[in-house]
Amino acid sequence: MTYLDWASTSPPDPAILSEAALFASRLYANPSSRHQAGAEARAALERERARLLTAIGASTGRLVLTGGGTEADSIPILAVLRQALGARRDGSVKRLHIVTSEIEHAAVYEQVLVLKSMGMGLSLVRPRPDGCLDPASIAAAVERDTALVAVMAVNNETGAIQDIAGIAAAIAEAAGVLGRAPPRLHVDAVQALGKVAFDPGSGAGSAAYSAHKIRGMRGVGALWLRQGPAPEPLCVGGGQEGGLRPGTESLQGVRAFAAAAEAARAGFDGRVSRARRLESRLLDGLAAIQGALPLPLGRRAGDGRYSPFLLSAAFPGLSGEVLARSLSDRGVAVSTGSACSSNAKRSGRRVLRAMGLDEDLSLSAIRVSWGDLTEESDIDAFLEAASAAYFELKT
Amino acid sequence: MEAFYLIKIGEILLKLGNRREFEERLRAQLRDRLSRASIPHRIEMYPGRFFASVPEEKAQETERILSRTPGVNGFARAIKAPKTVDAVLEAAVEVAKGRVASGLTRFKAETRRSDKSFPLGSFELSARIGDAVLEACPGTRVDLHRPEFTINSEIRERAYVFADPESGLRGLPTGSGGTGLLLLSGGIDSPVAGYMMARRGLSLEAVYFHAYPYTSVEAQDKVVSLAKILSEYTGRLTLWTVPFTETQLKIKKGSRQDLTTLMMRAAMMRTAHLLAQRIDANCLITGESLGQVASQTAENLRFAESFTDYPILRPLVGMDKEDTIKIAKTIGTFETSILPYEDCCVLFSPKHPMLRAKLGRERAAYEELGLEGLIMGALEKAERLEL
Repeated sequence: MTYLDWASTSPPDPAILSEAALFASRLYANPSSRHQAGAEARAALERERARLLTAIGASTGRLVLTGGGTEADSIPILAVLRQALGARRDGSVKRLHIVTSEIEHAAVYEQVLVLKSMGMGLSLVRPRPDGCLDPASIAAAVERDTALVAVMAVNNETGAIQDIAGIAAAIAEAAGVLGRAPPRLHVDAVQALGKVAFDPGSGAGSAAYSAHKIRGMRGVGALWLRQGPAPEPLCVGGGQEGGLRPGTESLQGVRAFAAAAEAARAGFDGRVSRARRLESRLLDGLAAIQGALPLPLGRRAGDGRYSPFLLSAAFPGLSGEVLARSLSDRGVAVSTGSACSSNAKRSGRRVLRAMGLDEDLSLSAIRVSWGDLTEESDIDAFLEAASAAYFELKT
Repeated sequence: MEAFYLIKIGEILLKLGNRREFEERLRAQLRDRLSRASIPHRIEMYPGRFFASVPEEKAQETERILSRTPGVNGFARAIKAPKTVDAVLEAAVEVAKGRVASGLTRFKAETRRSDKSFPLGSFELSARIGDAVLEACPGTRVDLHRPEFTINSEIRERAYVFADPESGLRGLPTGSGGTGLLLLSGGIDSPVAGYMMARRGLSLEAVYFHAYPYTSVEAQDKVVSLAKILSEYTGRLTLWTVPFTETQLKIKKGSRQDLTTLMMRAAMMRTAHLLAQRIDANCLITGESLGQVASQTAENLRFAESFTDYPILRPLVGMDKEDTIKIAKTIGTFETSILPYEDCCVLFSPKHPMLRAKLGRERAAYEELGLEGLIMGALEKAERLEL
């Protein structure tokens, strides 16, 4: 199989996983236990945590270990609810406000919609046609009661890299004009880790990470927090992770995460330029398929606005879902949004539509994503299969 | 222990000329359905009533079958007793205790007596039953107008006592009207159409047009699930899956865009016609409803219809969508129908389809496509699944 769905999940590194399993099986005690073995496990856990903090490229701050990227996103979002419930002495709920974008991952987007349905205010900011968010539009949405701004670092469908530092500066300025402190800026950095240079210390208040996108294991993530007061958790339990993420910590998970993040960081420049070469090959090949279009329209190889590890492409006249199915039959794995979901049959795909792409074009899109094990021959195999499938099935 | 059921048979009584045949058919249906569910059973047939005995542990399954077999008007767990007053009273008290145990108190008694040699008249027997229940079940009281349960007794070849029969599907026994070929999609309408015609006594076979990769394997699985649900009502059901990708592609590439929907329907109708001939069906069934989508106009129905000389039964043609959905929920197909595996060709269907086909002109356009060879080929490759 030609695997070009790395943005969904990456093949885990077997050496890293087995080393981490052995490591954790030696230090099996509960890090919260008071005995010597517990203390050793605690010490190991904290060493791995520190290692991971450096490996994700954070200059400051601390890490809360979570059960994945989605959970790392939901902790600061649900904290808004806790804040709203506890804001008033008389017990009434205060309407707090959240700013986010139309192009967020479902982990953020669906969660803020739930908060909206519970009475919170919500502003959804549209991206520019190139898929990037304008810091000024984010800042313009900030209100007096805005408790959280949530913006992703790299979009999972287009690869568009967002100007987090610029957004942080813009919302700080907007808050100043309103005479209030800047709201927390939460950054979903899941598609950024190991793929684009991103230091959450450059303006984020919190940031979400996931291990399995960089060859670590599933069910392991981290929430980075700026020094200072933490969000107040809605879900509580045994008090682990500073009370933010209760539950016994996974030493195996963080060990593997740290190792995977270090590996990604160590060869970063080489990995990125290798990915750029694959991107270029893919874009050249795409240009040779009559009718096929890169998304956003006009994306060129080496464009610094986009992650070099993924690309969406439209095949007008053929549903992306049908193309993905046919590619799968030809031994090539790629992704699409769920174009045929029952309620959104004709509404197209949210992220691409938000960029102003027309419905048919957005529905004809697939996402190709690659990683360190991808060879040029994989890109060629995709191009050949896509070209044949498109020719055969397009109407 | 044995569970004993009194089964009321309905409309078939009206059809005096064929009554015997209809009763035999219903009995054969019940036997077949119970056997296929591995339920050992004995069925007795009397005028207007069937009686079924099954093992106690199969009672629930049996009731599910009885409630889904066309031709059954209603049924109830019953006690059969010798035709003596004491025996009937004893049975009535036992039945009443069951109802009282589920918290009911207000009741009435109703008696049907076809054996006029029984010592008590209907009214007197009902009164005696009332007294016996009041005495045996403290806290109960008689309420003739708004009873919470009714104790029925029937004095016939034996005495039968039961309470509150469940209603059945009514309608006519499966197969009494021949075999209909249902054009089954994954949507809400066609399973309901199939169900409605099955109630009118048709055996069903169904045809599904599968256009992989335009339609997904999940969409196909969904159709199989729907056919399975339908087969609970039809007893048996044969599902034909006709590979339609090549035909669809030829239409999409060779036809004017606004005609693709019409041409597709025509090709499906033609295929269904040929299949109906092959399986010896005597009608086609579709879920079409006038005006439900823009292209379901009378003109377009006429056009599609011109590709077959079988009668096309469209039980939903005058129904409101809400009513169709209600039936789909009742028969249990709705939840499956709305699974999000709608065929993706919908996504690229024409935005402005032809609304009023001109028969001659559009038939000429169809002929020009030259689909007959592809349709024959598709039919040859059709897969048959017995449910």
